[in-house]
Amino acid sequence: MKRTSDSKWVTPAMLIASYKKSPQAQAIERFYHKHRTVLMLILIAFLCIFPFFTNKSYVLGVICRIFLYSILAGALNTINGYSGQFCLGIAGFFCVGAYSEAILATAAKMNFWVILPIAGLLTAAIGLLVALPTLKMQGIYLAIVTLGFSEIARLIALNWTSLTGGPMGIKGIPVPVIFGFAIRSTRHFYYLYLAVAILFLVVTSRVIRSRIGRAWMSIREDQLAAKSLGVYTSRYKALNFMYGAFWAGIAGAIYAPYVRFIDSTYFTLDEGWNILSMMIIGGQGTLVGPIVGSVIVNYLTELLRPIGQWRLVAYALLIIVMMWWRPQGLAGASNSIVAVKGDTKLRKNSPRKEVQA
Amino acid sequence: MDYFLNQLINGICQGAIYALMAIGYSVVVGVVGMVTFTHGEVIMIGAFAAYYMFFLSGNQILLGLVVSFLASGVLGYFVYKVCYERFFNAPRHVSLLCTIGFSMLIKNLGQIIFGPNQKPMLDVVQQNFFKIGVVQISQLQIVIILTVVIMASLLSIVFNKTKFGIMLKAVSQDKTASYMVGIDVKKVAMLGNCLGCGLGGIAGLLLAIYYQTLQATMGGPLGMKAFASSVLGGLTDVRFSALGGLCIGIIENLGITISSASFRDMFAFGFLILVLIIRPQGFVSKKGAKV
Repeated sequence: MKRTSDSKWVTPAMLIASYKKSPQAQAIERFYHKHRTVLMLILIAFLCIFPFFTNKSYVLGVICRIFLYSILAGALNTINGYSGQFCLGIAGFFCVGAYSEAILATAAKMNFWVILPIAGLLTAAIGLLVALPTLKMQGIYLAIVTLGFSEIARLIALNWTSLTGGPMGIKGIPVPVIFGFAIRSTRHFYYLYLAVAILFLVVTSRVIRSRIGRAWMSIREDQLAAKSLGVYTSRYKALNFMYGAFWAGIAGAIYAPYVRFIDSTYFTLDEGWNILSMMIIGGQGTLVGPIVGSVIVNYLTELLRPIGQWRLVAYALLIIVMMWWRPQGLAGASNSIVAVKGDTKLRKNSPRKEVQA
Repeated sequence: MDYFLNQLINGICQGAIYALMAIGYSVVVGVVGMVTFTHGEVIMIGAFAAYYMFFLSGNQILLGLVVSFLASGVLGYFVYKVCYERFFNAPRHVSLLCTIGFSMLIKNLGQIIFGPNQKPMLDVVQQNFFKIGVVQISQLQIVIILTVVIMASLLSIVFNKTKFGIMLKAVSQDKTASYMVGIDVKKVAMLGNCLGCGLGGIAGLLLAIYYQTLQATMGGPLGMKAFASSVLGGLTDVRFSALGGLCIGIIENLGITISSASFRDMFAFGFLILVLIIRPQGFVSKKGAKV
């Protein structure tokens, strides 16, 4: 077995690496790559017929949350995981999307399917506004500005009473109607969320394989090198931010009619940390990572419901553990800068490099 | 006009506390070389340490200062061990996320241990008011401003006159060079981090006696204000950070006179964004630590 780390001991990572080299694992991998589309279609078909096996709307509700947070954590992942920018204000974008849907649907009485893209584009525009002052700076300023933006968005929602209802929130948000069929129960929303989640994954997987996605990843790995090879870093970073914000806005817009009532307490910083912990635990820089994180964290939420307050302590410990042993997350991009731990051999041998957070 | 002047006094007092927070923050960032999100929680722990100290010993304000300094300093040691020590050569986002996780941990443990509700702070300073012309200033405000000034001058003496302070400055300017002249960089970084956190703890005490309340969730906005103040000095310059804190305190208090008090936190971020647009690297031209 080839030693992959400095440690004298056989680590789990080494066991996994040696398993990956075994013939069985490689056969499974080949099978997966050969029949990838078919496998995906089988998975989607299974998810489509799944509601017929269960009558409990509790189970479906949990799966709805998993879909919703997969989109949110995935949107955050396109910013943090793919372009290496540091956004902490995803709850703010979620808030903007949800409030714009709620306001347009109750006050302007617009159709849900018209509002959906409008809410996304509005959130993307606000994402551009947030990103603009920080484009030329190091990442940490972007982090703090997005964090501030998240709080500002919540405070505006809380205080602009004439538009957002202030502390009373917005109630009676109409449900979406498709071809005369009202999407009302949890089961109906299950399909809506599934459709949006699949749309998000398909679009994002196309985008990150395109020129744009490769530009984002080159910025993440080395901004200076990307710039010298002719990537317009500022432009692509702004685009990346808008893309993430767009999907967070869409997630907000499908969330508002599901809960029928929103107020500013849904969009606190804790919500932001929740989404961030999903992305970190699941993995950055891969499409599947945020989904894994969403499944784990939402399952833990249900499992840890009896111990209430300790839930967030558990998330915090998980984040620290992840940063210590696997900074890219469980299913993160292992061949990239997001996977570099502390004093690893890789870093010791490479020339000193300024990496921007 | 009277109201305006009085709000200015309030702003200066609050700005003095923010300045102390920002001084602590810039010491931490300068010496460790990594940005922290735990400063708000450090401030919160300082406030609670002082609360329990006053509860046990009556109003011994000096004892309270020492205890909150020590409590936050000890927390700073744990922050260093968990979030920085392993990550000096790692990409920046790793330690940053680690500090976020640590701050979540302390905040939620605090909510469990201290209870989620606001606690009333004991009266440690008499509420006597002095009138100078139209301006009214309370004894509490004088105590706070004096404490901050004394702490800042003590820190400046430590920085300029003692060997330890000079080592701190050296480490914050260039880690490799300080290592080569025989400074134990990791140890100095750890002690500097504890020092900065301790100053944050004292700021927490002052905030608690100024607002008369304290809460386990108070740290979040405070940490961000400490950051916003330090941006003026490029995150690492102590004097400009203090100035930034003072500016934010005054802007906040003047801002809420023209709008409502619920917009208080927005002024700090407005200031931050304004500074970032005008001069993102801060207003210091000398070469310091890069963050």
